Amino acid sequence: MNLERLPNEEKLGLCRKYYLIGFAFLPFLWLVNVVWFFQEAFIKPAYSEQLQIKSYVKRSALGLLVWVTVLTTWITIFQRFRAEWGEVGDYISFTIPLGTP
Amino acid sequence: CLHTSAVSTPPEQNGLPPAAPPPQVVEAEEDEDEEITLKYGAKHVIMLFVPVTLCMVVVVATIKSVSFYTQNDGQRLIYTPFPEDTDTVGERAVNSILNATIMITVIIFMTLVLVLLYKYRCYKVIQGWLFVSSLLLLFFFSYIYLKEVFKTYNVAMDYFTLAIIIWNFGVVGMMCIHWKGPLRLQQAYLIMISALMALVFIKYLPEWTAWLILAVISVYDLLAVLCPKGPLRILVETAQERNEPIFPALIYSSTMVWLVNMADTDRPKRNSREAAPPQETQQAPVATPEPSIPSQDDGGFSPNWVNQQQHQLGPLQSTDETRREIQQMPSARPPVEDDDDEERGVKLGLGDFIFYSMLVGKASATASGDWNTTLACFVAILIGLCLTLLLLAIFKKALPALPISIFFGLVFYFATDNIVQPFMDKLALHQFYI
Repeated sequence: MNLERLPNEEKLGLCRKYYLIGFAFLPFLWLVNVVWFFQEAFIKPAYSEQLQIKSYVKRSALGLLVWVTVLTTWITIFQRFRAEWGEVGDYISFTIPLGTP
Repeated sequence: CLHTSAVSTPPEQNGLPPAAPPPQVVEAEEDEDEEITLKYGAKHVIMLFVPVTLCMVVVVATIKSVSFYTQNDGQRLIYTPFPEDTDTVGERAVNSILNATIMITVIIFMTLVLVLLYKYRCYKVIQGWLFVSSLLLLFFFSYIYLKEVFKTYNVAMDYFTLAIIIWNFGVVGMMCIHWKGPLRLQQAYLIMISALMALVFIKYLPEWTAWLILAVISVYDLLAVLCPKGPLRILVETAQERNEPIFPALIYSSTMVWLVNMADTDRPKRNSREAAPPQETQQAPVATPEPSIPSQDDGGFSPNWVNQQQHQLGPLQSTDETRREIQQMPSARPPVEDDDDEERGVKLGLGDFIFYSMLVGKASATASGDWNTTLACFVAILIGLCLTLLLLAIFKKALPALPISIFFGLVFYFATDNIVQPFMDKLALHQFYI
């Protein structure tokens, strides 16, 4: 899918859809949205829909940031304290490393 | 199979073209066109090298590091019921031949079902099938892959993070492949799922069966694509008759291709550029044979009908003609919109990716010569791909991409493993450097 070939309204529509679908626990989708539409939103010379695309990109970036913080915190906590949680730790573990904790 | 969606377009003439260009000019143009064709074609060939190499690299890297894919757990696919750990060589040979026969029959059957479905316009069924198989690949197989990778690297992972990862990977993958997404990401996903499929094959197909299947598949590919009664040929011809793009399938495209009405003779101006089938969304590779572990649904999909995806032959023909037509049209026509650039690209079926990677992966897994053999197979496959693309540029029809590469790959594998490697070992033993 080449953004160059799309008319502006469709670009806006696509950006918007990506933004909305990203609410379904899909930070990766927000990342894709930001990267893909970055050039459209910030680097290209202005056109009518650009303002809205910019806002969607910004909001996606914000959502992405939130997710990244949450995930990083959780992962750090998990990795650090997993061994100490005993049974609960094992229960929520998908793979348990072998050897000394 | 391989198909190129046309060649470059010559620069547009803005001035008044001569009403009847003298024949020499046309010929010179023809030569130029051909040259441009070949040059442009060469560029796209190189563009195919990268994804094929990437796929192979991923597969080999996984095979080398994650032992899961080379362990023999005793599980087999339901398509290859005969075990290979038998007492005598003869029994083993017979078993592997039977396995290969069953597999190829399944594949032929699936291809025929596909062609029939297409002929009777059951597009929904086909799309549903593709959707389900890509779902399976993106979620289930990547889940297993991740699990094994984590186990190998001894990393703890909790269900929550894992769920987020798999969910994101899967959903974005489905969107990129079946709907709209950035080209690079789509290409990356297609490479990843091909690699996953190849890994499944490497794990679940016993030795001799795997090599036999590779050989038989190449022959089948050759027949299916080139014979007049071959299912794939029928598929392409039906699509051409109906003047539709072949339903979006599992095809890797080296560039973006645009949705356009092919063979639209009353509007030649549009045709000059487009003509490529709307393959912008390629779907996930076909199904995968179910490994016998997880119960449930029977994929029963033949992973290979993919490599038999054809594309239109039409576009190429229309390009040459329409180009000349345009040059003869009065200049009053509006300039053709759309940029030129690389709208056409070469397309390679995902099945081809899968089998190439499977060959190289198997070579790296089981060869005594280790890296020598792996590299030899890799080079062989690339050479085969080059030759196939050369033939494509010459014949300008959809061609099977498997036979030449697989043939070279197999020859190189067995030769290197049995002849070159012992030779190198001996040399190293005697510290004799040549």
